[in-house]
Amino acid sequence: MSGTDDFLSAYEKPRVARLAHNLFAACFPLMKLLPARFMLDRAQADGRLVSGGSVAETTSGTFGLALAMLAAVRGFDLTLVSAASLIDRRLRRRLEHLGSIVHVIDDPEGSGAQRERLERLHAILEHRPETFWPRQYDNPDNRLAYGKLAEWITREIGRVDCLVGCVGSGGSLCGTGEFLRELFPDLAIIAVDTHRSVLFGHAPGPRLLRGLGNSILPSNLRHEMVDEVHWVGALPAFASAHRLHRGHAVFMGPTSGAAALVGASYARKHPDAVTVVILPDEGHRYQNTVYDDGWLAALEGWPVAVPDKPETLARIEARGEGEWTRLVWGRSPLRTMLEAERGA
Amino acid sequence: MVSDKPAPASSRSGGGANDGDKPTGRRLQVGVGRAMAHHGELLQGVFEGADGGLHRGLVTLPLAAQPSTVTFWPGGQGNIRVRPADRRKTARAAALTLEHLGFPDVGGDLTIESDIPVGHGYGSSTADVIAAIRAAAAAAGATLRRSTVCGLAVEAEEASDAIAYGDQAVLFAHREGRILEHFGGEVPPLLVVGFRTDVARPIDTLSLLRARYNGQEIEQFRVLRGLAAHAIRQQDPGLIGRVATASARISQRHLAKPCFETVVKLAQEHGACGIQVAHSGTLMGVLFDGDERGVVARAAVLAGTLGHAGFRGIRTFAVNVDGTSLQ
Repeated sequence: MSGTDDFLSAYEKPRVARLAHNLFAACFPLMKLLPARFMLDRAQADGRLVSGGSVAETTSGTFGLALAMLAAVRGFDLTLVSAASLIDRRLRRRLEHLGSIVHVIDDPEGSGAQRERLERLHAILEHRPETFWPRQYDNPDNRLAYGKLAEWITREIGRVDCLVGCVGSGGSLCGTGEFLRELFPDLAIIAVDTHRSVLFGHAPGPRLLRGLGNSILPSNLRHEMVDEVHWVGALPAFASAHRLHRGHAVFMGPTSGAAALVGASYARKHPDAVTVVILPDEGHRYQNTVYDDGWLAALEGWPVAVPDKPETLARIEARGEGEWTRLVWGRSPLRTMLEAERGA
Repeated sequence: MVSDKPAPASSRSGGGANDGDKPTGRRLQVGVGRAMAHHGELLQGVFEGADGGLHRGLVTLPLAAQPSTVTFWPGGQGNIRVRPADRRKTARAAALTLEHLGFPDVGGDLTIESDIPVGHGYGSSTADVIAAIRAAAAAAGATLRRSTVCGLAVEAEEASDAIAYGDQAVLFAHREGRILEHFGGEVPPLLVVGFRTDVARPIDTLSLLRARYNGQEIEQFRVLRGLAAHAIRQQDPGLIGRVATASARISQRHLAKPCFETVVKLAQEHGACGIQVAHSGTLMGVLFDGDERGVVARAAVLAGTLGHAGFRGIRTFAVNVDGTSLQ
């Protein structure tokens, strides 16, 4: 295996962007290559995945792309299950050019159809039981894969006081955070989510900002590691992505915009702390949407005025796509927070 | 001739100048070699090598004050006799070195003068072996590069430490005798208060079971390695202290030191930047930033406290601090 995907192992590494004197961004072309490669390596090492075997996964996009790149290089059969609101025609074409089979579930209300996707995946696994399912939401190897990001951070940046990152599976933020906290026990960990994602207690609903948040709870998300959660609506996330591009020539996707917005606010508030923000993918996929002025103009509420800091909430509460809120989570389990809500 | 810093000459595996250099006409003389001890490790674990595989490796905390000195008197053919007589590995190291330099079957006498205590993690055995290799090289009037010295040492005794590299910070595969990563500098300035956690029974380091690290620990070692590289590049004692403390915590799950948490607490109370352990010995050390104001006084207070608490073998030493050694 080693040697055949040297290109991809280089491609999985981030570049550093210093966004302020105390704010560093780890800019990934495609962060999901890290967990995808790690999970396939481990599965190959212990025989769950054999040479020329098959792999299936449900994905909203970038994890599937990473798997497809690796499957192409390593000669696996890959089947991906996605939803119509999550996958655009160009990505689908790219996945198919890489040799993957793509199933697309209709979700007219834009929910992401997580449950239906899983049902379809289970049907595939039943049909071909030897298929390896990476299970990025629950496979602990997802978190372990981020030892490489934590190494990159310590090597390039050194001391870290605050880590900011988006949460979808929880792998990148909780994995990286766990490794860094062994060295920096006081490290603040800030999760970036979006309104109507269930990850931090919102009721599920339509979300315009994709690539973070979830409609189911992945076990790779460790709530008790999280100090603060921010819910960033799609519009401030898009505006922040534009600012990253205009101000730093850092061309990233909208989830990176959300993370950078939160990171910058923490860094301003804590000038002596070193903040690192994880930016998970580049902007190319979004040129027809987030980076298209015509597409943006059709959005209700655009252009949006982005405030310098979020509104601090006293309780878990979903807002509109133009809003940015924050809640002190205090390293609590989700259940504790939800019970407190009910008691309140 | 005394040799303790051999200049690059030949590679152990690559042949080089010595291979074609016949011993004819060359005579051995009396040779002296020295090597320093160490005070356990700043980092020990398993690390990815250039081949993508995992290798056991360590970063040594050098202890220059107590060297081992080995003298080789050549004398005819046959055996190399050694004093003390039980140090067969040391004699073997000298013989391997002479053979490597084109003097097979050379006999002689080897004496070891060392104050390094045995079995606590000071690397006494490796220091003797490295000093013997240097003594044999000096006897042959030859220089050996450090990588060759390490290769010979592993051949002689199964495992070696990185002390051939002195105060240069390297990630060293001790069972293979080669470098996994050269951090490109020396250990940052530290003042160390060292002590023994248990004097009852010295440890036979080579008979210890090798730690079996789990996946979480293996990935954690990457992160420690990254911070070690940064700390050495920036000469930051505080960060190397964090690396050492985290490594010691992992070690605690494999070869537990008694009173570990007590020491951690004392270190914090006295403004130390970390703790370190001998991963295969009884030694522990509290690390202070060697450049910090008032550090000598704080280290002295801690040394007193440790003495009252019943720890033995307390010694304070400096690593790469300007000025005199505190021995």
